[in-house]
Amino acid sequence: MRNLLAIYGRTLTAIICLMVLFWVLAMILVPQIAMLHNSLWWTEKSGDAAAVTLRIDALYNDIGVLELDLAAAGDDEKAKITAEIESKRSEIAELESKEVSARRVYGFANYTRMSALHFGIFVKTMFFSALVTVLALIVCYPIAFAAAQVFTGEKAALLMLGLVVPYAINELLRIYAWLMILDYQGVINSALAWMGLVDFSKGTAIPFLQSPGAVFAAMIYAYILFMVFPIYNTLETLDRNQLDAARDLGAATARIHWRVAIPHAKPGIAVGCIMTFMLSAGSYSVPQIMTRGQGGDWFSQLIYRQFFDANNWNIGAAYAFTLLVACLVFIFLVMRMFGVGIREIAR
Amino acid sequence: MRFRDFTAVHKTDLMVNAGEFFSILGPSGCGKTTILKMVAGFLEPTEGTVLIGGTPMTGVGPAQRPTALIFQNLALFPLMTVWENVAFGLEARGMRVAERRRRAGELLDLVALGGHEMKRPGELSGGQKQRVAIARALAVEPSVLLLDEPLSALDLKLRHHMRAELRAIQQRVGITFIYITHDQGEALTMSDRIAVMSQGRIEQIATPEELYGRPSSAFVATFVGANNVLHGRVTSAVNGHLSVDSPLGPLRARKTDGVAAGQETLIFVRPERIRLDPPPTVENRISGKVVRRELEGAYLQLEIATETGQRLLAQVTNADESVARKIGESLSVGFNAVDAQALPPGPLAVER
Ligand SMILES: Nc1ncnc2c1ncn2[C@@H]1O[C@H](COP(=O)(O)OP(=O)(O)OP(=O)(O)O)[C@@H](O)[C@H]1O
Ligand SMILES: [Mg+2]
Repeated sequence: MRNLLAIYGRTLTAIICLMVLFWVLAMILVPQIAMLHNSLWWTEKSGDAAAVTLRIDALYNDIGVLELDLAAAGDDEKAKITAEIESKRSEIAELESKEVSARRVYGFANYTRMSALHFGIFVKTMFFSALVTVLALIVCYPIAFAAAQVFTGEKAALLMLGLVVPYAINELLRIYAWLMILDYQGVINSALAWMGLVDFSKGTAIPFLQSPGAVFAAMIYAYILFMVFPIYNTLETLDRNQLDAARDLGAATARIHWRVAIPHAKPGIAVGCIMTFMLSAGSYSVPQIMTRGQGGDWFSQLIYRQFFDANNWNIGAAYAFTLLVACLVFIFLVMRMFGVGIREIAR
Repeated sequence: MRFRDFTAVHKTDLMVNAGEFFSILGPSGCGKTTILKMVAGFLEPTEGTVLIGGTPMTGVGPAQRPTALIFQNLALFPLMTVWENVAFGLEARGMRVAERRRRAGELLDLVALGGHEMKRPGELSGGQKQRVAIARALAVEPSVLLLDEPLSALDLKLRHHMRAELRAIQQRVGITFIYITHDQGEALTMSDRIAVMSQGRIEQIATPEELYGRPSSAFVATFVGANNVLHGRVTSAVNGHLSVDSPLGPLRARKTDGVAAGQETLIFVRPERIRLDPPPTVENRISGKVVRRELEGAYLQLEIATETGQRLLAQVTNADESVARKIGESLSVGFNAVDAQALPPGPLAVER
């Protein structure tokens, strides 16, 4: 703090502190606390309360109909209809005064009440996200290693460019592209049909989209960069001479990677795994598009539906918070597993 | 050895004897590391073969060659402990942990690093890292140890200490050392023989004494130690002596192969062989003025300008008061014919 003052003077220090404060509040604390708060209460509705709500909706409907009638009716009927509307209005007012008094109840029920089905989806999402992470790691480590150590200069730059270019395309477009590739009558099946390996008319084409592999493929494709770049960055700083020294001492390729390159790349691998896992676990568009919203649910789809279809924000918040906690646990586990500290991750 | 169309090392015929401390000395970029990498197996020569112990090494990878390389920057594994570093070669050979540890301990004792087993390289001093690198290379029991300027990262004092240490280790283990350096002091103090390289070619292979006393080319004469260079033309060659006509007047020099009457020549005289106020027996005498003097304690360095403008460097022992000279003082200097080496003209080593 004193350093800051010495370097930037009073005004700038104040501004910097304010900005940090704003950042912490706006980006971290307020949204999470709001979410947490939402997840901790629900409106108590007795059987009556639900009936009342229904009754109010019905009355509003009736009024709408009556107003139409009113416009079309003759003078003699008008008075009668107006009276009817009035009586319904007063009934609504009475009912609504009761409804407002529906109670807000605080507790953990939003968390504990998760159904077995939803919990199953949660577990499945965690498992598949971990699987995506592992697959992405297996795919990305060789790429990152090649770009950082094997190829030099231009070739490495081209390889990285090839990886980055697809990311200039909108995420949704990229996923739709995979949809088209893997579709029943998509690129791969068409190619296979052209080669005579499958036949659409006999229905022997392969339904890629029905296997979890389709979601995996699209996810790995969608998040590969978040795995490649951290690993690439750490491997780049590995002194080539260390690899040569290991080889000179008689180590086989596998041992060189296991003992020299991978330990060096650990912080990068940890960061890549964390990012890929969080992105996959929270991914909405990939499972939604790849399964056309029909396949086994991803937990993030469930959250979306709680918010916007079931209109139950409290449960939605509880689910979202559960996901957040799961991700934090994952981060913690990865850090323990790789033995890297928060400092190294932050780099 | 060529990289695309750039020839890093020209055709070279080099024979290193078993058990020898052999140095390759040359300025930066002359191809020293390239030669070493060919011996170690990281580069295949574009033409020709490397033989180790009479066995051709073509197609044999670095892991299989009986060599171990100590890198210019040591390349210790920073995430492993010292003993794991030393034992890495043994680990790669599938030796058991207990056995590896024991062996690593022995090697660390050999390089006087016992007790540092559990540290990481980052916690060691420069000289200690150096010794870990040596131990790690010795662990695989190579028949040739290749060292690529391993002392260049150390400070002066440590460098002097490590020279003696390296030499001692070499004599203890008795294997061939091929030592690369651009520091002539290192090469001269440690080596049995030295090859001097320049621009991808070997200029001379000789013992340190021979290299210093009888350089075979203008480059070697100026690269190894300091030398005064005098231009001239040979007028006659008789009785092992050359008579040379130079801007400073007639000079006499020791006869060397490749220099005959009528040819241009360069005469090299070491600063420490230049004498002040030479007695009449000294064949060559020149008069000039002191333009610079530097007292280095035991020595006195004088730069002398002759009437032709030629600069001469003289180094005299600070033995008594008589050597004291003031700047601007006129004096007479001289050197014996046996101390003057005449060589064919050629490129000189540029001042580094
Ligand atoms: N892989 C390579 N591709 C192209 N040129 C190279 C390669 N390796 C070395 N060279 C060139 O070969 C020449 C000799 O390089 P080398 O590394 O052998 O020099 P050196 O004598 O070890 O120098 P230093 O004392 O600086 O280490 C240099 O001009 C260098 O630019
Ligand atoms: Mg080099």
